[in-house]
Amino acid sequence: MRRLRRWSHRHANLLFLLPALILIVFLTVYPLVRVFYLSFYRYNPIRRIERFVGLLNYQRLFSDRFFLTGLKNTFLFSVGATLTEVLLGLGLALLFNVKFRGRKFLLPLVIFPMMFSTMVICAIWRSMYHYDYGIFNYALRSAGLQPVKWLISQDLALWSVVLVDIWQWTPMAFLILLAGLQSIPGELYEAAKVDGATGARLFRHITLPLLRNHIFLALLLRSIDTFKIFDKVYALTGGGPGTATETISFYIYREGFRYFNMGRASAAAVVMFLAVSVVSFVYIRQVWRGEG
Amino acid sequence: MSLWRTTAIVKRGLFWVVLALVMVFVLFPIYWMLTTSFKEPLEYATRTPSWFPHRITLEHYREIWKEGAYRYFINTVLVSVGATLLSLGIAFPAAYGLARFRFPAKLDLIFLLWVLLVRMAPPVVLAIPLYTTLQGMGLLNKLTGLVIAYQVYTLPYSIWMLLRFVRDVPIEVEEAAAIDGASKGRTLVSIVLPLVGPGLVATAIFAVIMTWNEFIYALLFLRRPEVFTLPIHISHFITEYEVLWGPLMAIGITSSLPILILSGYVQKHLLRGFAISFK
Repeated sequence: MRRLRRWSHRHANLLFLLPALILIVFLTVYPLVRVFYLSFYRYNPIRRIERFVGLLNYQRLFSDRFFLTGLKNTFLFSVGATLTEVLLGLGLALLFNVKFRGRKFLLPLVIFPMMFSTMVICAIWRSMYHYDYGIFNYALRSAGLQPVKWLISQDLALWSVVLVDIWQWTPMAFLILLAGLQSIPGELYEAAKVDGATGARLFRHITLPLLRNHIFLALLLRSIDTFKIFDKVYALTGGGPGTATETISFYIYREGFRYFNMGRASAAAVVMFLAVSVVSFVYIRQVWRGEG
Repeated sequence: MSLWRTTAIVKRGLFWVVLALVMVFVLFPIYWMLTTSFKEPLEYATRTPSWFPHRITLEHYREIWKEGAYRYFINTVLVSVGATLLSLGIAFPAAYGLARFRFPAKLDLIFLLWVLLVRMAPPVVLAIPLYTTLQGMGLLNKLTGLVIAYQVYTLPYSIWMLLRFVRDVPIEVEEAAAIDGASKGRTLVSIVLPLVGPGLVATAIFAVIMTWNEFIYALLFLRRPEVFTLPIHISHFITEYEVLWGPLMAIGITSSLPILILSGYVQKHLLRGFAISFK
């Protein structure tokens, strides 16, 4: 009894952490173990099937055209959106690093898009993309051009979804890079100018090297985030036309929650988790260093 | 001299042109939502939509109110405030503990690493086991169930945010309290809490925004219309009615207003809030 009291006194600090610890284990550790476990089963809760099948789910997964297309599309989406967002974000940050009249007023407006819920954004863009009634095609027709099948063309649909993501999340890359730009001391530029350096060379030899960490951070964060792409696909295209906008998240959703083929969906989830974890680890290491 | 002057003027002009183009790209979709919500169907469900509403109507707003959209509003408020309060209540002591104490077996480090990893993980990965767990507890199709599921997002997020705010509190203040004989629990509530107050509010606002806009768990765990949140209602609207854009935009505007107002309060924390929050 006395030992117990001494132990509890010594570890009273643990009480602060305990509720969070329990909830995190319950909500994340246990489900991850379970999803790993289920990936070796044929599991359908509606038809009450639960049978061990070994690696069959994984074998099926990697011969499933939908999954493979999803993998490819997710990769294309993630790379396309991330690179464009960081590039545009950099341009925008350079623009807003200049002191001009109205800057204070415009800055919050630029950040606006990332405040809206993705569903609201999808509603807007879907109406603008509409083949017959959309404003984009109306503008094209007015200019004497051919209307574009934004969301219903096999080749274009994925990039139309990318464009929506660019609109929504470029502000995020912008914020990170603007913070980076503003942390560069002005004297550096002054000194370089005295030495005769101008515009492009200042950018290449001072701005870019000093901004490296921030660019890296923006690339990491956006690629981790875009890799999860689900809601835009759900609301804009439903994975179609055909398999043109199929993604991994959407595949897991359809297999697991429409067909209740939860074993296969779990296998896909495990693959996805591992893929994201690789990139996450790079990010976490970076954050860890920053935290000291 | 005059050549130098001309280039300066051209540069300046170019700057404003680029800035204007950027602002049009950023603001046009929002403008389009706003104006469509006030247009009559004749002006938007047509091959020649109008750039400005010729006649302004409030009909769409009246319609969504009459059809009971406020129910989804109430559901969304309940879920996002509920999830936020629960998270803060649990995350605040945890963040304090992590900032101030050492734990046996590097528990604190492992915990923090895990929290970060969870923060990055795709929510859909956890969806299947969470679904069966909620089903087992009878919490499917219940707002309470969603509040619990949302801890996957808000708890790691709040812990990480609050950790930084707590670390900013000078430890001397607490040492003084300890000398005066205050217990750890008391110090937490009456010394640390007021000092982290602003940080707590900022964290709460971000958590509300995050859960207000959340889609995938709401879609998977709420399948009866009476418990729908706003994003789910909107998604049904989008996919079921092809061009009913007037009411759709009206509900889009109404559902975004609270978030836009709240975000005004956290402008200076935006970077801190989003660089680790990205849903």
